[in-house]
Amino acid sequence: MSVRRDDNGTIILEGKCPVEDAEPLLQLLQAFPSAPLDWTRCNYLHTAVIQVVLATGAKPAGPCGDPWVEQWISSNLW
Amino acid sequence: MNALREQFVSEARELVQQAIDDLVAVEHEGFTIERIDRLFRTFHTLKGAAGVVELPAMSVTLHAAEDLLAAIHSGRLGITSTTVDQALACLDQVSQWVDEFEAHQSLRADAGQAARKTADRLRGLLPEHAAKSNRQSPRPVTNSATPEWALRLIEARRAQISGALQTTPAELFAVSYEPHVGCFFNGEDPLQLMRRIPNLLAFYVEAVETWPPRAELDPYACKLRLQALAVGTRAEISEIFRLVPDQVSIVDVSMDALRPQQSAPGTEGDATRLILAVIEEQRQVLRGSVRGQDFVGRVGAAARVAANALRSGQRADLAERIERAGAAAISDENVAGLASVLDAAVESLAQVPASIGDTHAGAGGHADSQAQQVDRTASHGLRVDESKIDALVNLAAELIVAKNGFAHLAKRLEGEIGGHELIRAVRREYGTIERLAGEMHSAILQLRMVPVSRVFRSFPRLVRDISQRLGKNVRLVTRGETTESDKVIIDRLFEPLLHLVRNSIDHGIETSEQRKAAKKPDAATLTMEASRQSDRFVVQVIDDGRGIDPAMIRLRAGERGLLSSDELAALSDQQVTDLIFSAGFSTATEVSDLSGRGVGLDAVKTAVEQIGGRVAVASRLGVGTQVRLDCPMNIAMSRIMVVETSGQVFGIPMDAVMETAHVPLDRINWFKSNPGFVLRDRIVPICSLARLMDLPERPASGPESRLVVVTEAGGKITALEVDAIRERLEVVLKPMQGLLANARGYSGTTLMGDGGVLLVLNLKEILP
Repeated sequence: MSVRRDDNGTIILEGKCPVEDAEPLLQLLQAFPSAPLDWTRCNYLHTAVIQVVLATGAKPAGPCGDPWVEQWISSNLW
Repeated sequence: MNALREQFVSEARELVQQAIDDLVAVEHEGFTIERIDRLFRTFHTLKGAAGVVELPAMSVTLHAAEDLLAAIHSGRLGITSTTVDQALACLDQVSQWVDEFEAHQSLRADAGQAARKTADRLRGLLPEHAAKSNRQSPRPVTNSATPEWALRLIEARRAQISGALQTTPAELFAVSYEPHVGCFFNGEDPLQLMRRIPNLLAFYVEAVETWPPRAELDPYACKLRLQALAVGTRAEISEIFRLVPDQVSIVDVSMDALRPQQSAPGTEGDATRLILAVIEEQRQVLRGSVRGQDFVGRVGAAARVAANALRSGQRADLAERIERAGAAAISDENVAGLASVLDAAVESLAQVPASIGDTHAGAGGHADSQAQQVDRTASHGLRVDESKIDALVNLAAELIVAKNGFAHLAKRLEGEIGGHELIRAVRREYGTIERLAGEMHSAILQLRMVPVSRVFRSFPRLVRDISQRLGKNVRLVTRGETTESDKVIIDRLFEPLLHLVRNSIDHGIETSEQRKAAKKPDAATLTMEASRQSDRFVVQVIDDGRGIDPAMIRLRAGERGLLSSDELAALSDQQVTDLIFSAGFSTATEVSDLSGRGVGLDAVKTAVEQIGGRVAVASRLGVGTQVRLDCPMNIAMSRIMVVETSGQVFGIPMDAVMETAHVPLDRINWFKSNPGFVLRDRIVPICSLARLMDLPERPASGPESRLVVVTEAGGKITALEVDAIRERLEVVLKPMQGLLANARGYSGTTLMGDGGVLLVLNLKEILP
């Protein structure tokens, strides 16, 4: 599982995040709406996972570990 | 409604009106490239605005209209009344949507369907529509064919694109990819395809519909639209998307679209506005930031987002400053510095007109700071909500009332202490306050002055539609459009003017054959003219039609039993002509769907009288008719005369007062059972105001004469007998409210200096 919540309550995306991560990520964001989201340690995000981030309006902290996403999508998170 | 939406509504209305004006002008005065250009720009700006407030239905419709204009521009399509009709229909639709959007913040669910219908109708006029049998065949690439989304991408990445094109001379493609909702279940990763695009220049991801709340989100339904701009060959891009050809559209982008000003009129302003909105959001984020675990993330993100936005608007200078301030804010744990840099950025951007209507200035000319300075000083003015001005007008009116109280106080002082120095001082001060209050009131009323073009501008379109429907050839001439009057008056003139215009075209103006027989020019001329005559605001509707035949009016009036034949015989031709404004009079031989709706011209008269105006008609048989609406400049202040009868005071509008007189008893004659007297060869009946108001009458004004106020109301001259005439006042008339709202006989109330309420009479309603 590449999505988890750490002891500080931060939701973390790590490594390669496949399509299956979309649902648990959404569940975490639903359960902890104000929890910070850290995507600095992931290196690949599936479209479905990105869609969850966009659709929930989550504001991930720091640069995205997936360089393509950082370059082309981070600026979309207005 | 937030400011962006409000601005959209008011600007969209202006743009729609401007487009209507231009379309009608194109049809009448002919086709010029400049005019088509301007129309194209107007439609394009409207479309951009619709995009900003996220009204896709409107964008779709306007896009089709743009295609039509592009075809006209390139000479592929001629202008006919059908094309103009369809373009006008499109604007009607847009205007309806704008109203809807204003009322409900959104469009009805079937807006998309309506949009497609309108768009299809517009596209149906295009020459290539019929010819286009094969959808695969590449469409001719013109500037206007570059879709909106592609233009947006270009706008966002203009700097990078032009940089890339300088180094690699190649073709530019825009890709829009909307994956199937269920694509995730097929193991697809749509972004994976985007990642494979070589030489990606711009990328944008958006939701195909508004996201539902978090709780209702389906993580496995793909609701994304992915758009990109890339340099390459069509073959290599098509190859990437070969498995999803039905979900993707690949468009060649002409190099024309890259040229800033011509390609996308208005987008510069739109972009600036978007950037401003983005920065504003970041400012709010910062305001909410307190030191905490997410401080660094929030501040960092805010600075980065603002900087990115500015870079996309080619303001790298500002972007750098913000990034530096952001870094400093994080290390100092203090956002004050960053906030002030953001403020400065907003100010600097605001110098470029952010209005979507403004395309003439600020298009990339940032380097020229002097030019910016000029732009700033040449600003057009302030957009103020009308209700705010109305509130100001009311306040100023209250001040006038309060000032009148001062006069009363001075009078009381005089009664109590006599001719004292103090009283002179009070009077002096009163004089000053009176002058200032008066000046302030008129200055504030000036704010509400609007040019009559506000109503005139709807008429070219209306005249076109009405005359087309009636099969008449009418040329509309408007004069004095810049004449100003109070907005309340201008706005209330629309209905009566419309009625008069309809009436002129329907009844006044002859058919072509009739005109030919009368040796008149084929096209009839309908003139609408506004002018200022001393303190009156005069609007005239003049036609060169058949004129009004007094004999005909006599006949109709007799038939309808309006007047007896004796009475009719006694009237002059002019008086007979005036009968067209009487209730229950309509000369139309048959009911037409335009002016013959059972509402006679008396509706015009009533509407104009409500704003304190008068209607007069002059006509010459066979030559034409001229209707004159004579209105006050503003309706906020009225002058009244205060009279007393049986111990009660009433106000009489000065407009109605002709003169006051002491009539010696020996001059009073009895006609049947009514008293009257002869005033300048005219018999004037005398009515006792006390009796009219059901008050106990008492013998007054001395034994040898009676005091009367000669009034004119509704064309009748009457002498009102009163006990005393008091002061004349300039007052703010308030309409009757609450329980009294329906009381007949009064036109309103006003507060007097001593705090008492004065009832102002509506003579037309009380006189027998």
